[in-house]
Formats: sequence, C-alpha cells, structure tokens
Amino acid sequence: MNRMDLVTPAEKAMRILSRLNIDFYDVVTSYTRSISISILGRGIKEASSRVDIGIGVRAFKNKGMGVAYSQSLEDSDIEVTVKRAVGFARVAQPDPYFKSMPGPSKVPEVPGLFDANIAELTLDDACRFPVEMINAAEGVRGGAMYHGGFSASHSKACLMTSTGVSIEAEKTAVSAYLQPVYRDGDDVGSSYEFDYGVSLNDIDVYWIGRRAAKKSLEQFGSRKIESGLLPLILMPESSSSLFSSLLSALSGEAAAKGRTFASKLLGRQIGPENLEILDDGTIPGAIASSTYDGEGVPKRPVKVLERGTVLTFLHNSYSAGIMNVESTGHAIRGGYGGYVGAGPSNIRVKPGDSTINEIIAETKRGILVTSASFTPNMVSGEFSTTIDEGFLIEGGEKKHPVKNLMAGGYILNLIKDIELISKDGRTFGKGHFFPAIKIREVRLSGQSLPS
Amino acid sequence: MVSILRELLEFIVERGLSEGASFCEARYFEERINSIGVENSVARSLSSGILRGIGVRVIVDGRWGFASTNMLARESAERALRDAIGSAKSIVISAGEEAKIVEVKPSTDMVIHHVKVNPLDISPEEKVKRVLELESAARGFSDRIKDTFITYRDFETKVVVCNSFGTFVEEIAPRTQIICRVIAKEGDNLQEGYEVVGNVAGYELIEKINAEEFSLKAAKRAVELLSAHPPPSGTYTVVVDPRVGGLFIHEAIGHNSEGDLVFSGQSIISDKLGQKIASSLVTIIDDPTRMGYGHFVYDHEGTRAVPHKIIESGVLVGFLHSLETAAKLGGAPNGSARAQSHHHPPIVRMSNTYLAPGDMSLEEILEDIDCGVYLSGSQYGYVESQKGQFTCKVEEAWLIEKGELTEHLRDVAISGLTLEALKNITAVGKDLRMEMPGMCGKSGQGIYVDAGAPHFKIEGIVVGGRR
Repeated sequence: MNRMDLVTPAEKAMRILSRLNIDFYDVVTSYTRSISISILGRGIKEASSRVDIGIGVRAFKNKGMGVAYSQSLEDSDIEVTVKRAVGFARVAQPDPYFKSMPGPSKVPEVPGLFDANIAELTLDDACRFPVEMINAAEGVRGGAMYHGGFSASHSKACLMTSTGVSIEAEKTAVSAYLQPVYRDGDDVGSSYEFDYGVSLNDIDVYWIGRRAAKKSLEQFGSRKIESGLLPLILMPESSSSLFSSLLSALSGEAAAKGRTFASKLLGRQIGPENLEILDDGTIPGAIASSTYDGEGVPKRPVKVLERGTVLTFLHNSYSAGIMNVESTGHAIRGGYGGYVGAGPSNIRVKPGDSTINEIIAETKRGILVTSASFTPNMVSGEFSTTIDEGFLIEGGEKKHPVKNLMAGGYILNLIKDIELISKDGRTFGKGHFFPAIKIREVRLSGQSLPS
Repeated sequence: MVSILRELLEFIVERGLSEGASFCEARYFEERINSIGVENSVARSLSSGILRGIGVRVIVDGRWGFASTNMLARESAERALRDAIGSAKSIVISAGEEAKIVEVKPSTDMVIHHVKVNPLDISPEEKVKRVLELESAARGFSDRIKDTFITYRDFETKVVVCNSFGTFVEEIAPRTQIICRVIAKEGDNLQEGYEVVGNVAGYELIEKINAEEFSLKAAKRAVELLSAHPPPSGTYTVVVDPRVGGLFIHEAIGHNSEGDLVFSGQSIISDKLGQKIASSLVTIIDDPTRMGYGHFVYDHEGTRAVPHKIIESGVLVGFLHSLETAAKLGGAPNGSARAQSHHHPPIVRMSNTYLAPGDMSLEEILEDIDCGVYLSGSQYGYVESQKGQFTCKVEEAWLIEKGELTEHLRDVAISGLTLEALKNITAVGKDLRMEMPGMCGKSGQGIYVDAGAPHFKIEGIVVGGRR
C-alpha cells in the first residue's frame, strides 16, 4: 500500500462494518508527516521528523457508541479495530440525545490550505528558519539563552460515513516560536513571540526573532504593584483568550446541555453595541479553515455576536440534534482518536474606532496586559488568573513591567465592561483577528491587602 | 530466544553506529488504552485504542537527530534511522552547544509490574456496571445535582529501550484511573466538583474504591460550592492541603529543577546549586521508585530510576537528569528522561514529586494565623520557569480567621515567585499524602506524574480574588 493511500483502508473498514448489523458508523484514516527543530540554550538542539498514520472507527448500535483506533493500517489491524468498535457499541447504553450522522453535501473547495513547499520541505531546508530567527534576536541584543522551535506538517485525512459522506482533505501548517532569556544579575528580561500559518510565506521568522528579543528586554525591571481596581487593556495576544473562551462556551453539547457559563446567553446582549464576532472557517489559506468540518458538514461563515448580542451556538450534529436545529459545521475531530467535539474556527472580532496607542494614551492609570490567559472556569464563568506579562500605565504612558499580579472576576462582567475596541489588532494564521480591548475596571491582587 | 522486536532494535542501533552515529538509541513504544464514559447514568461510549511504533535517536558529529514511525516493518525502521541521521546532519549548532552524554554501563532487564486484577480479564459489561454504581452515588446526593460524569481508563504501556551502550531494557506498566465530575446547579449558579483516583495498578483499584471517598465527595463539593463566596484579593498567609501543596511543589520548584531547563538558562535556579534557596523546613524529593502514578523502574533512556533530592533542608542539592543533562551539568543520570510516545524524544521529567513531612498537625499550623486562606484541591498550574513566576488554580478554599476555617471560597488561584515563596514556608505538617495522579505537559509532551505534600504554610502569597 502506498502510505498516502488512505481510501483503500477506509473502504476496507467500511466493507466490514456494513456486514455487522449496526445502525451508524464512520471511519477516519489519516497520515501526517511533520518535521521540527527545537531551540534550547544558545541555539538549535535537535531536529526531528515523524510519520504518523492511523485509523479511527465509531460504531453506533441502539444509540450507544463504540470507538476504536489504531496506529496501523494493516488489514488484520483494521479488522480488529472495527470489531472492537462494534463490540463496544453493543455494550454501550442508548444516548437519548443521539439522532443520526450528517449526510453528504457538495460545496466548492476552500482554496489555499495546502502549500507544496511544506509538503516537500526537508530538514536541510527547514534549518535556515530557526537560524534566521535566532540571528534576528541576536541582532537586537546578543547573549540570550533561548527556548523555541520551528515545525511544519503535512496531513491528509479521509472520512467515510454510513450516511454517504466520503471526503478527503489535505492541509499544511507551519509554526515558529522564540523565548529569549536575558539576565542582568538577578534581573530577568524574558518574553516570547510566535506565529503560525498554512504556508511557509505566512510566517516571518526574522520578525519573530526581533520582536521576541525586544519584548524580552522590555521585561527588565519588573515590579510588584498594590492591589486595587484598575482598567485593563488586553493586547490581541490576551484578548484572544477571552474571545476564544466565550466561543468555546457557546459550542457543542456542553452549551446545548446547559453546562457552560454561556448556555443561557442566546438572544441576550452581553457586550457593547460595537462588539461583533464572526466565526468563519471558509477564509482561503487560513489556519482554521477547511472545506468540511469533522463530520463532513460544509463550513460556512457564522455571525456569533452582533451589537453585543449572542445570535447562535456553534454546533456539531449531536448538539444541533439536542436543540432541533441544523449543524453549523463546527464539528472538530481530533485525529483518528474517535472523539468528535465542537468548537470555533477562525474567530474574527470586528475592529473598533480607536488605535491601541490612543487607548493607552487616554488611560490615566491601568494595566496593559501583553500576556495572560483569561480562560475562566467554563462551568461557572469565574476566573482568577496571573498577568504573566503586563505594564503599569500612568498618565497615558507605559511605566514599567509588573510581576506577581493577578486579576479576578466573572468573564461576562469583563465582556459587559468592554469600553473600547481597537481598530488595529493582530491577525493570526491569516484567519483569526483579535483587536485590543479596554475593560473599565478589574479587581487586581498584588502586593498588599486591598483597602 | 531473541525476539523479533529485539533483533530489529539491535539491528537499527548497530546500523546507526556503522553509518556514523556516535550514539544510537532505538525505542519501541506500545500503549493500549480502554475507556468508558458515563454521563447521567448512561454509559454512552466505550473506546479502545492502540498506539505503537519506534523512535530512533542519534548523535552525529555532536548533533542530535530523531525520527519516528508507527510502521513496524524493517524498512520503515531503517527509514526512521536514515531520517534521524539526516536530521542530525541538517542542523547547524552553536559553538559549545554540542550534544554530549555521559557514558553509562549497559543494563539488561525486563520489568513487568504485576497487578492483582488484570483489567483485560474484566468484561466491558462488568466495568460498566461498576462505573454506574459509583456514578449513582453522586447522582443521588442532592436534587441540586445537574450532571454527573465518570471517565474510567485502563492503560498498559510497554517501553523497550535499546541503545549503543548495550542497554536493552523492557518495562510493561499498567495504569488505571477513574475521574468523577459533578455539576451542581441553583438558579444560574453552576459549580463543579471533581475527584480522581489513579495509580500503577490494575482493576483492583476500581474494586476497592469507596463511593464516599470518591463520587459522593465530588457531588458534595459541587453542591457546597454553590453557596461558597468569591475569594478576597491581596497578599495572604496561605495553608495548602496535600493536593495544592503537591501542585505547588511541582510547579514552583519541580520544573525549575529539570536539567534541560537548567543547562539552557530557562530556570531561575540555574546558578544556585549548593545555595540555600528555601526555608530550612523544606526538603523536596522526586522519587520514581515510590508507588504513585509517576512510578517506573527504568526511564526511557534505559537508566534505572533512583530517588533524588532536589532540596535538602532548604539547600538546592540536585537536579533531575537525563544522560545529556548529567554530562552538561556534571551530575549522574538519575532516571528522569521520559517520552510521551515513540513520536517524541525523551526529555527531563518529574515522576512522583513531594515535600518531605515535618512534625506539625494541621491545627498547630493554623493556630497562629489571624487572617489567611486555606487552599484545598488542585485543578491545574503552570510556571514561567525562567522568571520563577508560578500560578496554581485550586478547587476551593476557606478563610482562616484566628486559627479557624470560616468562610467557604470558590474559584481561587494563587500566584507567587519561586525564590520568595520557598523561603516563606514557615510550617510543615506531618500528614504527607500523594494523590494527584495526572499528566504533566512540557514541550508538547504529556507524561504520567504524581505529586504530594503534607499540609504546609506559606506567607506572602498573592490570592487572585474578586473582592
């Protein structure tokens, strides 16, 4: 068998499944070749390459699901995998929410998701990227110790279902990351920069290296500050966690079964009038784009928030079935492991009116958050998080980096209290767009007890 | 009789040396996983998976190369070797950063961790029945229970390490784990309780679970959190329970002691070996030989694991080492190199990491605290090791007022600076417990670990509150 032939083993599994008297089934076969170069210390540490193949089978009998997977596409292993899934389906109990699997749909391909330069990239060729990234950082200031890496992958997958879906998809991805560490005595200046995309041309390692070094040097002299209530300005690298968490909480069965902080938000205004979020998995050449979702449902743009109001959940077929609506094409299948969830694709937050510099300039005292995760407890919506990197703003100017500072609150209060949305922001992977946002007031925990 | 697998791995190692590698390692990995997912009294999914393949690692001209495949035919393994050698040759390394490892004596061994009840001898139907029993205890606890979930998993992991020192070791380890999540609801208020049990063990672990100590406990916590309050914000004296203590030890100091982060300047304690970096009450040990979720006999470089002290009475006495970090930092390999699978090269990892017990009772630790926070149950944590800033997210907390636990608190996290926090440990209890069976993530690899501590007190910790 040619290792790129994923159809033959999938068809073999489908043939066996068709003879076993079960209600629904699907088969995924996949191939991924990836190469990576790790950076540790003064430079490159190691180069590696990986070839991964696998098959995953889901079988449903009386609404009970059996799953099996294997990293072998040999005939005998396919047979064992199928029989395991079917045996388990017969033991599993009826899931009252399971209805069916989606049927076939035909839509035009989303272009630009495959870069032949990545599929053909050798480690010899790839080595220049991390070298250039480190050299760029050294050009800003030499002598750092580094942690980082460069990786590229080419993957291909085939999905067949008992409801007639039969699709193949091919995609490439590339990413690079650099974290320099500078030391002056006991003072540490360290930050990071990264980028990712579908094509080699999507990332600029020179930019990553220089920016990582500059951001690291800005972290020298970090200080603790006192507890209190202050406005926060979340840069795109941090606002991304807030908006991604919101869309995840609006996704799939957890949302539909009332298990997230966002389960009751349909139709409710939760943010300012100018807050608009589009989820678009059809953007050509974008990191989270694909022609079909993980169940073979075509991707389409979905407006999730308009005028600050939640318009829809993001569904796979299971969660759509619970709410008696159509799938929105947001099924996510994590490889051949069997589990099918739901979640956002390219998240695009509509830009606002002010520039980031204007937002900083109009802030008398506040914190500019350059790195922190505002992912809350997905059930309660409450969060308590460290501001990993940030700066004190006084009189409209960045004063000094802060350390050992935490923010706490309720995520829906953060969204309600969005005061400004920047018109400039950052596009990630040619798909996601996140602006900076200013939040009116957040409880900060720092050096001393609050008054 | 030499097995086909041994013949293949030895062939790859010999071929690697003949093609110019100064060190060659061929590692076979196989993991069988079975799981059952129960949701609201319905065993809605059962699954089974097999991961297996070969990872080949070489040093060629002072450069590391690694390649892996999950195709087990001889030609695929040879292709992986060629790719690993090609990988090493492709990179340009900086002067002084050459790959080097310590020379070690070869080991030959086979280790099988025997279990009382092999999970494969228990039918899926019987497992489902047992999981449903445990789940029903949680469901019946209160009418405020909205959802109950139990995930059962059993694993069998086989690792075979063959290298050019002549080492050939094989280890087969079973692990069993069960997790219970409960969501309680009152109006719009949703809260979650969580419990986990896991160990290097067989199905006997599940048979002996008492619902009172597992699913019922998760249900009780979820319901009680409905009436808990948001935490105060600011800097407090905190007392941590064994789970939060284990998380703190793992994040605040454990990662910082990993040899690869130390030699690459990514650790805040890189230059502090032999120095006093913690209170004299602090002794921290990483012990793969101790029974716990992170237990093993040989690491994934074939080094026999030994217990190793990181801090003794406040003094930094050692790091966690692989063959490479021992060479670069001047220590002895102590069995700390592990890989998630054949697709990953071994890197330095913790195993079962804990704070050694002191001599105080919890009551004695609490009694002189006028105003503080008692933290219980760990969710997750992370550390920026190069800056020594850590975060630990905990399940629940209580205010400490005049030595007594008073107001119940929820959604609490703490943040601190490693070198400050270690010095501010001012009381250590005698009740060491290791009960954090889970996965630790580092450099894209997840690995089985455990952590624990007795109750202990830390002063000057930032509590991320809402009021």
